[in-house]
Amino acid sequence: MSNELERLRREIHAELHQPGVRPDDTLKITRRTFVHKSLVFGAATVGQTFAWWPLINTIDIAHAEEAPFKFAWVSDTHLYPKSLNTRFVEKVVRAVKDVQAMDPPADFLIFGGDLAQLGTVEELELGNELLKDIKIPKHFIPGEHDWYLDMGKKWNQLFGDATWTFDHKGIRFIGLDTVTRGPDYWTAKNMTPEERMGHMATLDGTVAGPWAGVGKQQTEWLQKTLSDWPKDKPVIIFSHNPFYEYYPPWNFWIRDWREVQAVLKPWTKVTNIHGHVHQVLYNEIGTLRSIGMLATAWPWPYPPEGLPKLTVPMIRVDPGDHFDGVGWGKWSVDAKGNPDVEYIMWGRKEVFAQRAEDHDKHVEEVIRPRIADQMYPWANP
Amino acid sequence: MTTASTLPHRLRRLTVVAAALAFAAVAGPATAHKDPVTDEQLREYQEAFMDEVRKGDLLFHGDGATAKAMGVDGMLSKTGWACAMCHPMASDTHPHSFPKFQAQMGEFATLRDMINWCIEKPNQGEKIDPDGAAMKALEAYITWSNTGSTLVPGKY
Repeated sequence: MSNELERLRREIHAELHQPGVRPDDTLKITRRTFVHKSLVFGAATVGQTFAWWPLINTIDIAHAEEAPFKFAWVSDTHLYPKSLNTRFVEKVVRAVKDVQAMDPPADFLIFGGDLAQLGTVEELELGNELLKDIKIPKHFIPGEHDWYLDMGKKWNQLFGDATWTFDHKGIRFIGLDTVTRGPDYWTAKNMTPEERMGHMATLDGTVAGPWAGVGKQQTEWLQKTLSDWPKDKPVIIFSHNPFYEYYPPWNFWIRDWREVQAVLKPWTKVTNIHGHVHQVLYNEIGTLRSIGMLATAWPWPYPPEGLPKLTVPMIRVDPGDHFDGVGWGKWSVDAKGNPDVEYIMWGRKEVFAQRAEDHDKHVEEVIRPRIADQMYPWANP
Repeated sequence: MTTASTLPHRLRRLTVVAAALAFAAVAGPATAHKDPVTDEQLREYQEAFMDEVRKGDLLFHGDGATAKAMGVDGMLSKTGWACAMCHPMASDTHPHSFPKFQAQMGEFATLRDMINWCIEKPNQGEKIDPDGAAMKALEAYITWSNTGSTLVPGKY
């Protein structure tokens, strides 16, 4: 582990992992979300071996009941023009059909960012057209791939504000933009919009740097938006990036986690649902619960330096099947406001690793950052 | 998904490699090993290696100009998909686990076999010469990026 990453992890641990501090017990982890069918099929051994065992709470506290409901999450479709890549289109079409076929229907859809691959008008309009077949209300947050060609011009035109909130059946829902405040790496180097986008669209690139963040203005908006909301009522926040330092070299984090966590700390039932990581992911940071979602386009590997202890890893996928390891999320919210996800991974009965060899980090690796994107002319503007 | 390199840069690299080759030709295989290695030689050998790593890095990340320069224009992918889109920092390529029985292929395979399988299947491209310059560069980048990984040949 790099010294910097080690330092960040120690810092966040000291700051937020206080003894006994966890999300409210009523926001329980269910069997379906975190062990799914695994327990039935003998994954207990795997969990014990790797210390993945999540904390399962069974205590429910009385809470004003609302009608249970469902919502759907789709993200990271990374569409190229249809003339170049039809597989990514096929997967969006499949997700759209699945969501539209939900019975009872979902109350709404969240699109979690990275609709496009290189942010072109053609890609964004293609995505918008494909998603029109979903007839329930839709809410969008941006991904970095949607933004850095025209700095959000087309995305804003199609989908409106990147930050929003609404209340639904006893839950305050918030959409946060974690992608548009990246430090300017392009002006001094006279990059074209396409060059700027190219660096941003490379997950393991080293030029765009730590771009993910919520920003001061939006953090203040978040504080204000929550100020009239009771501390024990559920809050669900959607973002593209996770709110902790999972793996900064791939922007699996936000750089201003400290400020955002400080705002959220008093609320005891906060769930952050995020995209960007293209993988099954679960963590608890203080009173915040954080859940990562699948992409429709392709799965990212787990980072080489490990995954949160509470995550039951997803199954190692077959790269020969472009529908494997990808899909969408079906969220159920019960009468007490507890959200619970069912990962819909196409073509898989078992989403979670059933034995050590099913986990992609079964083969240990040491890897290093790339170097060629730092070559002339980028290194010497 | 691309990071451009420039012609002057490539020319500079080619010059370095040409110098290394010329040095080897003058010194000759018969005598080169009989003198203690010099710092200059070490630098040149390392530079010759890193030049391949850089080219491999660019190919791996979908750089069209490098693919064209190395004779594999449009072959590595027909869909816009690049190797690094599933393997950031060459993660999960596991070069240290080859050769092995490769489940997707249903046969015993080397890293080069697997690279060509990925080009042909997920990337929907065309197989490249397994002994060609582009393959060597990809192999150089993948193995360099996994420096420090422990050899576990045959591991699933």
